[in-house]
Amino acid sequence: MSLVADDISLHLAGFDLLRDIDLTVVPGQVTAVVGPNGAGKTSLLRVLAGDLAASHGRVLLNGNPLSSWDMEARARMLAVLPQHAPLEFPFTAREVVSLGRTPHRTGRVRDSEIVTEALELADARYLDKRFYTQMSGGEKQRVQLARVLAQIWEPVDTGERILVLDEPTASFDLSHQQLTLAIVRRFADNGVGVLLVVHDLNLAARCADTLVVLSCGRIAAQGRPDDVLHEALIEQVFGVSCVVQRHPADGTPLVIT
Amino acid sequence: MRRLNPGLLLWTLALLLPLATLLSLATGTVTMTWSTLWQALADLFDDGDLSNQAAMIIFNIRLPRSLLALCVGAILATSGAVMQGLFRNPLADPSLIGVSSGASAGASLVIVFAANGMAFGSTLGLTVLGLGAFAGGFAATVLVYRLATTSSGTSVATMLLAGIAIGALAGALNSLLSYFSDNDMLRQISLWQMGSLSTANWPKALLIGAVTVPLMILFPRDSRVLNAFLLGESEARYLGIDVQRVKRRLILLTAFGVGMSVAIAGLVAFVGLVVPHLVRLLIGPDHRWLIPGAALGGAILLLVADNLARTLTSPAELPTGILTALLGAPFFVALLVQQRQRF
Repeated sequence: MSLVADDISLHLAGFDLLRDIDLTVVPGQVTAVVGPNGAGKTSLLRVLAGDLAASHGRVLLNGNPLSSWDMEARARMLAVLPQHAPLEFPFTAREVVSLGRTPHRTGRVRDSEIVTEALELADARYLDKRFYTQMSGGEKQRVQLARVLAQIWEPVDTGERILVLDEPTASFDLSHQQLTLAIVRRFADNGVGVLLVVHDLNLAARCADTLVVLSCGRIAAQGRPDDVLHEALIEQVFGVSCVVQRHPADGTPLVIT
Repeated sequence: MRRLNPGLLLWTLALLLPLATLLSLATGTVTMTWSTLWQALADLFDDGDLSNQAAMIIFNIRLPRSLLALCVGAILATSGAVMQGLFRNPLADPSLIGVSSGASAGASLVIVFAANGMAFGSTLGLTVLGLGAFAGGFAATVLVYRLATTSSGTSVATMLLAGIAIGALAGALNSLLSYFSDNDMLRQISLWQMGSLSTANWPKALLIGAVTVPLMILFPRDSRVLNAFLLGESEARYLGIDVQRVKRRLILLTAFGVGMSVAIAGLVAFVGLVVPHLVRLLIGPDHRWLIPGAALGGAILLLVADNLARTLTSPAELPTGILTALLGAPFFVALLVQQRQRF
């Protein structure tokens, strides 16, 4: 049970955006997708989220094709955080996070508890009554993170939960980057399958159980960060020469350019 | 800015609405004291006695007119609120983005082609006219939506420009139809275009009432969906909402509401912009409160505006649309200035 991309290809407007993608987001594990700009990371994410239909192949959520799930039931298992959040109305942080409970019927009291805990977890509790439109980029991103966390806060009986995050650390300072990784790890430890799109290879190496390297719409390498991150591959995919060392503290690969 | 308690605002508006209605029944060319009004209403409710002159004025002239103002105000304000949610932009107003113009073009087409010599005062005639306006308004909404919205949001510029284009097209179509129509049709078109609420009668009031009730029941049912919609179309889909179906339903409903109100009361601009904006300013953008708040606020605003239209230059009368435009246009400019500072 998990989120599976089964031999996916995507052609849009005459371009091959994705070709022959096979990957599995395993519950309890963090899968990170890395790759240069334009490699198809966001397209892959949108296919996995059900936003775009694959031209070939299929996406399976807990054993059934994504499109065969009832939309609300699907939303209770699969939460997606896009990169940009175009909200232009003055909702408070609490109201935004409450929207994450839209697909649930757990009642106002429970929802409110979950919202409070999610805000707390994302270090956004102090934003509670502040207006979204007046927040900084990092604050907005944390509130949106809390929203998708609230969406899959508790296990559901229809299947495993999957969390998909597109560049969740993009507008964060160091401490909030660390916080995000800790949150991702915590959700994975609770049985959630996490798919992460990130730019920073070192960040990916530190938090991911499986690393997927995309290049020109294909998977160039896939496996444990230790096995995947090598000078030759990075040179070939990113066109950058570098040195791969061990992180002195935890022994994960460290890419130094 | 601090927010008001939504319940408090709704209760206040709900208390103000009957007061505004009574006021509009009492004022006019013949001014009535509260006691005369009270006596006349008592007579009406007792035995439908119209021998009393005051009772007759109220029943035949003022009551249908007040009902018309109330319903049109509520429809336009809620449609505005729903459209702004749908477009994810606080500037989407039926009259600004061309929905009202589209509706008026549709209605003109009906007058010229569909109904030779049909009496547009009758309920049947009004219904046909309303359907024409609905079709025109629907086509305009779909067109603007297609042009202005992309996955990354709504372009305000495209939205307003599309409104101008549709307005120009509808204006040209109206002139063309006027040019080729005979005397009788010309009279029909121009009478109808002047619209205003002065031609109110019971068939019109009942028809718009029959449109208002289902809309006021259906719009609030999509409150939660509209809240999620404000996050973006994809985000709403991730939250389990069937975005295409909701969009189709809400575009149909708003076009229906705006079309019918344009068919019956002509162009009353800016109500759909001003009222939801003020309500949002007071209690926030949550549609569960915004939609009922806009309904009550729109009804009150149009009752008061119509009251002024009837009394300011008494015994002559201003078209109500002029008053709402005088009020709404500066408001719109202020909003534009505010948006410009934000970007």
